[in-house]
Amino acid sequence: MKKISSRAISVFLIAALVITGMCYFVKEDYLHGRKWAMYFSMFNPEAEGELLDRNGVMLAAFNREARVYAKDWPTRVANYHVTGDYVGMTGTGLLTHFWGSASDYDFLHGIKNEKSGSLSLGIDAETNNYAYQLLSQYGKGTVMMMNYRTGEVICLVSSPSVDPAYPVEEPEDGSYVNRALTATYTPGSTFKLITSAAALENVPDLENMTFHCYGELDIAGVKITCMEAHGTQTFEQALANSCNCAFAKITYMNVGQRLMVQYVTDYGFLNGHTIDGIYTSAGNYPTEFVGDPELAWSGIGQSTDQVCPFSMLRYVAAIANGGLLAEPTFLKGGSGEKTTPLLNPATAVRLQELMRNNVTSHYEEEVDFSGLPFCAKTGTAETGAGTSHSWFTGFLQDEDHPYAFVAVIEEGGFGLWAAGLMVNDIFQHMLETGTA
Amino acid sequence: MSVIILIRNLRSLLSGKTEPETWAYLRVGEENVPVHHWESLLGRARSADLRLFGEGISPIHAVLKRTDKGLWSVFDVFSKGGVWVNGVPVPEAGTELHHGDTVNLGGSCVRFLNISTEQRQRNEKKRTGAGVLVNPAVTLVELTLLQLFLLLQHSFSARQADRTSIVLAFASLIVLEWCVYEAMRLMNRMGFEIEILAFYLTTLGLSVAASAVPEDLYKQILLIVASVMLFLFSGWWMSNLKRTNAMRIPVGVLALGLLALNIATSDTINGAKSWLEFGGYSFQPSELVKAFYIYVGAATLDALYMKRNLYSFILYSAACVVALALIGDFGTALIFFITFLVISFMRSGSLATVLLAVTGALLAGFLAVSVRPYIARRFAVWGHVWDDVYGAGYQQTRSISAAASGGLIGKGAGAGWLRGIAASDTDMVFAYICEEQGLIIALCMVAAVILMAFFAIRCAGNGRSAYYAIAACATSALMLVQLALNVFGTLDLLPFTGVTFPFVSRGGSSLLGCWMLLAYLKATDNRRGASFAVNPVNRIMTWEQEHGIEVLSWGKTQPPKGKDRRP
Repeated sequence: MKKISSRAISVFLIAALVITGMCYFVKEDYLHGRKWAMYFSMFNPEAEGELLDRNGVMLAAFNREARVYAKDWPTRVANYHVTGDYVGMTGTGLLTHFWGSASDYDFLHGIKNEKSGSLSLGIDAETNNYAYQLLSQYGKGTVMMMNYRTGEVICLVSSPSVDPAYPVEEPEDGSYVNRALTATYTPGSTFKLITSAAALENVPDLENMTFHCYGELDIAGVKITCMEAHGTQTFEQALANSCNCAFAKITYMNVGQRLMVQYVTDYGFLNGHTIDGIYTSAGNYPTEFVGDPELAWSGIGQSTDQVCPFSMLRYVAAIANGGLLAEPTFLKGGSGEKTTPLLNPATAVRLQELMRNNVTSHYEEEVDFSGLPFCAKTGTAETGAGTSHSWFTGFLQDEDHPYAFVAVIEEGGFGLWAAGLMVNDIFQHMLETGTA
Repeated sequence: MSVIILIRNLRSLLSGKTEPETWAYLRVGEENVPVHHWESLLGRARSADLRLFGEGISPIHAVLKRTDKGLWSVFDVFSKGGVWVNGVPVPEAGTELHHGDTVNLGGSCVRFLNISTEQRQRNEKKRTGAGVLVNPAVTLVELTLLQLFLLLQHSFSARQADRTSIVLAFASLIVLEWCVYEAMRLMNRMGFEIEILAFYLTTLGLSVAASAVPEDLYKQILLIVASVMLFLFSGWWMSNLKRTNAMRIPVGVLALGLLALNIATSDTINGAKSWLEFGGYSFQPSELVKAFYIYVGAATLDALYMKRNLYSFILYSAACVVALALIGDFGTALIFFITFLVISFMRSGSLATVLLAVTGALLAGFLAVSVRPYIARRFAVWGHVWDDVYGAGYQQTRSISAAASGGLIGKGAGAGWLRGIAASDTDMVFAYICEEQGLIIALCMVAAVILMAFFAIRCAGNGRSAYYAIAACATSALMLVQLALNVFGTLDLLPFTGVTFPFVSRGGSSLLGCWMLLAYLKATDNRRGASFAVNPVNRIMTWEQEHGIEVLSWGKTQPPKGKDRRP
């Protein structure tokens, strides 16, 4: 029996392991309890709070008795990707992620309620409604706008969307995806804004060089084509023409892959970001050796290039703000002092001029901007399926309306004719209704 | 309140010195050495229960064993010098011993002296009775208060329609525990600590059920009653060692049969087909098989040394684990395996066997992981649950968050949000309790099981038979492992395996199995007047007298020169 008794040590060992594990958990709970508890604090049944747009329109509200969304159908659907839902169907909703003001935490009581549980967003519900209505007519895609001085996001819609108040069993594919934050697309010609920055800073005498476009360019047997032969152009004209031949040449002959990768990385296109703790998608750019033809394609936003619309918005917002990015936030009032230097100020200023030139020399001939000082770049990204994604990104050079924007319409055709028209339409509407 | 209950039980179970029973004496030279167990190892080794240093005595020489009927035998366990009783060599089946017999151990002689009735009574009176140090009635009153307090919490949060059933359920539980207590008191069995711990855990389980599925409460309370009945029956059954031992093979066959039936008939639910459906009730055979498995696995000391039947047990274990793997119940297979390790270590004491088994199991585990994609997924997400909050980390992240939300004192019964998540009342029950009752109570819940284990360890050296000691230790190992997989799986410290927390997780078969296992703990508790599953000394003496097994009176200083009492 003594033997048996001494062998009972094996049980003691297991018990000791269990006790060690419990101690470890208690320690972790003490250290990380706040983070853990707050992550799903919107599930807290006693939480009381509401989510308001910048004008006080209720987007979602909850208390012990009820959990409701906006009263009218358009507002619920248009703002779904901002608010999310109470069940957590979408991973990017603010209801799920960002309920710091409705709940608080301490180790003794766990999660508890704060008295003022109302959170005002920079989002303008009315603009969102209008934008979603337009966007959904074009099909799938996204529009996101932010104040490049403060970082406030004023508009974010993603189509298709759902009505969180009346969820359906099988909504349209991709309804729960926030296309602005967690989708990536082939960027097409909008990517020339990044190639331009790399060229401006690294190619001596770039602005005095001329580029000859014969409508197509042969690189080691691979043909890169333009819509038409652009003839002889300066760098500025090549960007305005969105000349593939010129930018292909600049990429593989003047800039090179090493610098391209460095700029794409520095400008934050390869990694994911966070906006108020919500993770956004990382993009892609060929970082391994690919050879001249593929490198040329990558410089004009094709090849394996993938860009998250949010990354593009950060980039153009930084250009608009003279190189300094005011960190984007959904909070009303913006992110204040939180800024990130993204571009060399001189480069940013030159890009502003170039983007303004795009509009004045070309886009204005085809679209009536009614005098809005757009600085922009279009993109028509070939998807390989015979269709193309329509991109339009840029900003308003107007201190009263300091907005940067990005819009993507999936399989929407030419950049200017789908996304460009839509963005212009939304801004015109904002000016008419005085919401901007 | 929980803490008080726990501390009282802790004091009651682990304080005081170990007071062995005395069942016979060996006359060694001029000294009477008491025999404390029904099974004792004689030899020179430090680990021998009775250390004898005479010439020719091997380190491990002989086993002295007493049957339920009070008959003693001696077995030769691979001694070099051999064993003779009154000059006749002991065969493999052992030789009966009688008062005054001379036992020759490889040349050194000792005399066997059975204990007299008066002596035994004298000894028994000297031992502290259970429940003297800490009155179990007071602890039970505290538990009742805790239950009423929980009931109060529920009456605030529950829907009007459910209130009646919640009140009835808690009332039934209180009545049940007091009935069991009164019955034990009438039988003069005052060691009620293990039961109180189990009732404490069951109470928390009932609270979870009341807030998760109030419409199912009637079923739950019926299950609790059935479980306690099963516990009482098993305890009574275990009190007879011979009966227990004789039924080991039939029980083993029954257990394998249940598993086979499970494999043959069940459909796959949640990646594992561990449920049997009958009459609208779903039933998980593996939960009961756990208790059967330990029943089969434990062994008496003579079997340990003499039959070397460990190999058949290894084969049996392998069959069980393979069956569970076929069922797809990875968590339970793991529990079985670790229980197997504990049993085989306690039986053989051989680390080599254990290491061999671990190696084999690791290989089998890799195979399982590579063959079964859903197990591989669980391993892949282990430690990275926050990277996939809406996919593979769905349950763990919600559990961790809910557990933290409760703080130290909890949100109150029925006031949590985790109950909206599937399987929160079974696989994630630790987080459930953390959220609604707070970290303190959740830790008490874990401590209760650990306390049971410490008690089993403490009793192991003091038990009447190795069978009880092994069964109790295996039981506590099983409960601890199950608890660890449940709690740490929920909290992402181990891969999520979806096993139940003993007594607390909602689920009938689990509760039945746990209460049945509890009987093994009771069977090893031989403090005076403690356990209904241990026959008290007085009754044994009465029984012996009735059956004509006389024991002569002899004084301590002058034992009678025994005459041969062989019939």
